[in-house]
Amino acid sequence: MINTKNLIKVFRTDEVETTALNNVNLEINKGEFVAIMGPSGCGKSTLLNIIGLLDNPSEGELHFNGYQVENYTERQRTNLRKENIGFVFQSFNLIDELTVFENVELPLLYMKVSGAERKRRVNEALERMNIAHRAKHFPQQLSGGQQQRVAIARAVISNPKLILADEPTGNLDSANGEEVMNLLTQLNEEGTTIIMVTHSPSDADRSHRIIQLFDGHIVTENMRQKL
Amino acid sequence: MLKILLNTVLRSLYRQKAYSLMNILGLATGVTCTLLILIWVEYETGFDKFHEDIDQVYSVYENQNYADGDVFSVYSTPAPLAESIKRTFPEIKYSTRMVTTWGQLILSADGKSFVEDGGKIVDADFFQIFTFPIVEGEKENPFKEENSIVLTEKLAQKLFGELDPIGRKIEINSKFDYVVSAVIQNPPANSSITFDFILPFQFFGKLWSYDLNDWEANTFHTFIKVEEGVDSDDLAAQLQTYIKDRIKNSNVDLDLQAFVKYHLYAINTNKVGSIWYVRVFLLVAVLILLIACFNYMNLATARSERRAKEVAIRKVVGAQRKGLIGLFLGESIFFTLISLGIAVVLVELLLPVFSDLTDRDLSLGINNIKFLFSVSGIVLLTGIVSGSYPALFLSSFLPIHVIKGISRKDSALLRKVLVVIQFSMSISLFICSGIIYQQLKFLRESDVGYNKSDLIYIEMADDFNSIYPKLKNELTKIQGVYWVTAANQMPVNFTNSTWDVDWPGKIKDSEDILFQLSFVDYDFIETFEMDVIQGRGFSKLHGGDSLKFIINESAAEKMNMVHIIGEPLQIWDYSGEVIGIVKDFNFNSLQVGVEPLIMMRNPAAFKYIAIRIGEDVEPILNKIRTVWDSTVPDIPFTYRFLEEDFKYFYTAESRMSKIFISFTIIAFIISYLGLFGLVSFVTERKSREMALRKVFGANMDTVFQLLLKEFFKWVMLSNFIAWVLSFFVMEWWLKGFAYRIDIGIGIFILSGFVSLLITFLTVYQQIWKLALKTPVRVLKYE
Ligand SMILES: Nc1ncnc2c1ncn2[C@@H]1O[C@H](COP(=O)(O)OP(=O)(O)OP(=O)(O)O)[C@@H](O)[C@H]1O
Ligand SMILES: [Mg+2]
Repeated sequence: MINTKNLIKVFRTDEVETTALNNVNLEINKGEFVAIMGPSGCGKSTLLNIIGLLDNPSEGELHFNGYQVENYTERQRTNLRKENIGFVFQSFNLIDELTVFENVELPLLYMKVSGAERKRRVNEALERMNIAHRAKHFPQQLSGGQQQRVAIARAVISNPKLILADEPTGNLDSANGEEVMNLLTQLNEEGTTIIMVTHSPSDADRSHRIIQLFDGHIVTENMRQKL
Repeated sequence: MLKILLNTVLRSLYRQKAYSLMNILGLATGVTCTLLILIWVEYETGFDKFHEDIDQVYSVYENQNYADGDVFSVYSTPAPLAESIKRTFPEIKYSTRMVTTWGQLILSADGKSFVEDGGKIVDADFFQIFTFPIVEGEKENPFKEENSIVLTEKLAQKLFGELDPIGRKIEINSKFDYVVSAVIQNPPANSSITFDFILPFQFFGKLWSYDLNDWEANTFHTFIKVEEGVDSDDLAAQLQTYIKDRIKNSNVDLDLQAFVKYHLYAINTNKVGSIWYVRVFLLVAVLILLIACFNYMNLATARSERRAKEVAIRKVVGAQRKGLIGLFLGESIFFTLISLGIAVVLVELLLPVFSDLTDRDLSLGINNIKFLFSVSGIVLLTGIVSGSYPALFLSSFLPIHVIKGISRKDSALLRKVLVVIQFSMSISLFICSGIIYQQLKFLRESDVGYNKSDLIYIEMADDFNSIYPKLKNELTKIQGVYWVTAANQMPVNFTNSTWDVDWPGKIKDSEDILFQLSFVDYDFIETFEMDVIQGRGFSKLHGGDSLKFIINESAAEKMNMVHIIGEPLQIWDYSGEVIGIVKDFNFNSLQVGVEPLIMMRNPAAFKYIAIRIGEDVEPILNKIRTVWDSTVPDIPFTYRFLEEDFKYFYTAESRMSKIFISFTIIAFIISYLGLFGLVSFVTERKSREMALRKVFGANMDTVFQLLLKEFFKWVMLSNFIAWVLSFFVMEWWLKGFAYRIDIGIGIFILSGFVSLLITFLTVYQQIWKLALKTPVRVLKYE
C-alpha cells in the first residue's frame, strides 16, 4: 500500500540544517499494523507526516496505492487524504467551537454525504467509541481519554483504508490508553491499515511489525508473529 | 454545511466576546459615519432636482474682465437681457428675470399688516422654468393679470388663516393693490430659490425708479430653459459677446451655468463652492471606512492565530483552500451585515442630531432605490475588502504547521503596518480639524478695522428720507446713543461696485479697476469707529459734502495719486474731490480680502440706520423703541446687532468644522480600537513568557518598557506621516483665505502627545491586567 524510496527530509532554518530523515526505504502492506519507535527527535513524526501527505519529502519517492504522490498539488493531496487516510494525534486536535457530534461529522461535510446518512454514520461511530452520550458536549468538557475517542471516531468516520496515529496514548493514563489501543486493534482486525508512532513497548506489542528509527535511519524492522 | 458554519462563527464570536465586540463596533461605527455622510452628500447633490426637466435650465451670468487679469463673475445681469436672448435664439424656450424684493415690504390684508422680506419679482416664464407646484388658483399662468400676486401656502395661511385666499386683495406699502391669483407650495428645503410670495416684474418698475432698458446696469438673475437636446456649450459660445455687441468697451462676457450646479458650484473660479465640502466629506467617509476596514483586518488576523488550529484540522480532514477562503469571506460579510444592522439603528438615532449639525432635514433614504443599492454595495465591498486579508492569510496555513506547533509565518508586520496607516489617517484628521478650528476662531475674532460690538442697525422699508432726519434728531438726544448714521449697505456685505471711476493720472482703459462703492451719511466713520489716516470724515460742519469722496487705503494705493486729499475724482457723472482716507476695514467675509472702496454721501440711496449705543443695552433699546414708535407709529420697530451678522458669516464654516471635528473623534476611536486590539494581542502572546518570568522572580517593568518602546516607535512613525500629510493639505486649504493663520507647531506636538499618551495607557492597562493573573492560570491555559 505504501512504498518509500530513499526518502530524505532536511529542515533548513537560518543557520542549522537538520536531516530528519535519511534514505528511508519502507514498504507497508494493506491490512498491516505497524509501530514506529525510536528516541525523541529521530524523525518519527516527520515520517508519519510525509506518509500522511501533510508534509513534503526533500528527496525520494512516495508511492500510495501504486500512485507516485510526492509531487501532488495541495489540492490533490487533500482529495487523497480525505478519501483514504484518518489521523489521530497525541493532542487530539478537536475544534473547540464544535460539539462532539459536529467534530466527528466534519470529514463527511467535505465528502458530499447526505444529512440523514451523516447522522446515521456519526451516531454509529460514536456508539462504537462508546461516547454517544456526550454527543452534544464541547471538547473541553471531556476528559483526555474521551477526547481521544472522539478523535478516533472522526478518523474512522470516512472509512479510511489507512489510519495514522502519532502517539495516540501519549496524553492518556494507562486505563484510557488501553481502551484506545483496543479500538485501534479492533479496527485493524476489520481490515484497516494502521501506522502508529509510540514510545510505549506495550502499545507496540499490539502491532505486527515494529520499525526502529534512529537519527533518521531505519535500524531494525521486527516482524512480530501474532499467536 | 451552512448551519455548521454559522454555528462555528457564532460560537467563536461568543467565545471571543471582546474581540468580536471590537470588530463589530468598529465596523458599525465606520459604516454609520459613512452612511451619515452619504445621506448628507445625497441631500446636497440633490438640490433643485425636484423641478421637471431641470437639465434644460441654466443661469446666464456675467464674467467681468479687469485690467489686472482678474475675472469677476456675478449672477447679476442687465434687465433687457432675458427677453432679448429669448427672441434672438430659438433654442431658448423660456426666460425670466428674477430679483429678490429689496428690503422689506409691508403687506396689508384684511386690515392687518405684515412686514415681509422674502419676495421674488419675476417674469411670467418663471412658472414654466421652475415647476414649484401650484396648489390653488391659476395654474397655467398666474401672472395673466398685471396686478397678480402668488403666495406660498405658509404666507397665505399667515395672511388669511382658513379663508380661501384666491381673489383676495393685498395692499403693498399702502400704495399698490394686488390680487392673489395662485397659492404655491412652500419651496422645499432643498430648493436654492426660496420665497414667501412672488410678484410680477412690473412691480419692480412701480416701486423703484430704474431704467429697465439699461444694458450697462446689472441687477437681475437671468434664467433660461432651452429646448431638449440643445448643446449648452454651443449656446454659451454664441451668448458670450452678447453684451459687448450692444455696448462698446464693455468688459462683460456672458456664460451659462447649469442650474443643478447652482447650489454647489461657485461661478468665480477663485472661490470654493460648497462642492468643496462635499468632496472633503466624501474623502472623510472613505477614510473612516478604510480605517474601520483596516481595524477589522487587524483584529481578524489577530484572532486568526487562535483559529489556526481550526483551519489546520479542517484541512487535514479534507477542506480545500478555496472553501476556506469562502468561509472566512462569508464570515466577514456576516460580521459586516451585523454591523450594518447596528449602523442603521445608530443612523436612525443620530440623524436628528446630524440634521441639526448640518442644518438640513435629512432622512435615511429607505425608499431611494439607488441609495440603498449603493449602500449595500459599499457594505458588501467593506466585507470583502476587510475579510480578504484574513481569508487569504488564514487559508494559507498548512496543517503541518499547526500540528507540529511551530509558529507560522507571522502577520505581525502587516498588523503593524495597518495600525500605522490607521493612526496616520486619524492623526491627520486630528491635526486638520485643529487647524480648521484655529483658522475659524481667527476669522471670528480678528480685527475687522472697526468696532462691531454695541452697534445696532435698522433696515427701512420705504420713505427713508421722510423719516430719517427727524428720527436721527430724536435718537441723538437719548442718553447712551452715541452716534447715528445712515448708509445704503452695512459693512457685513458690500455688494455695490463699479469700474466707472476716473482720476487724474489714470491710464485710460488699461486701468479699469473694480471699486466698491458705498453711500454713507455724516458721522459714518465715527459711528463705526473707523480710523481716518488722512483728512476727515463726512460731517455736517463742512456743509453738504455731497460731492466729496472718502476712499480706503487700498483705493489710495491703486489710484497712485500724488496728494490724494483734495484731488479730483469722478464716479459716473459725479465729479468731486477726495477729502479723506480711511484705514482698510473689512466689508465682507474675511475669506475675501479688502478691495478698493469709495464712499460718498448720497441720501437718495440710504436704506439702513446704524446706531452706536452704550454698553447698557436693554434700557437704551427701550428708549430707542419709544422714540421710534412716536416717530413712525405705523411701522413696527425691528433691528439687528451687527455682531450677530458677523457670526452668521461663518455659520457654514463653523458648522462644517463641527461636523469635521465629530468625525475626527470617531475616526480616533476606531483607530484606538485597532491599537487596543494589537496591544492586547501582543501581550496575550507574551503572557506565557511573562508568566514564566514571574515564576522565576522577574518583575513586569522590563516587559512593560520593552512593549512600550516597540509601540512608541510605530505611533511616532504614524505621527511623522500624518504631520507631513496634514501640513500640505492644510496649507492648500488656507490658501483660499485672504486672512489666514500660519500653521503653528503646537497642534503637531499635541497630536504626538495625545497619541503617545493613549498608547501608554493602553499598554499599561493590558500589562496591569496580566500582572494580576496568577502564573498558574496563564501557564495552564497555554
Ligand atoms: N520544522 C522544523 N524545522 C527544523 N527542524 C525540525 C522541524 N521539524 C522537525 N525538526 C527536526 O527534525 C528532527 C525530527 O523531528 P521529529 O518531530 O520527526 O522527531 P520525533 O521522532 O517525532 O520526536 P518526538 O519523539 O520527540 O516526537 C528533530 O531533530 C527536529 O528538531
Ligand atoms: Mg514526534
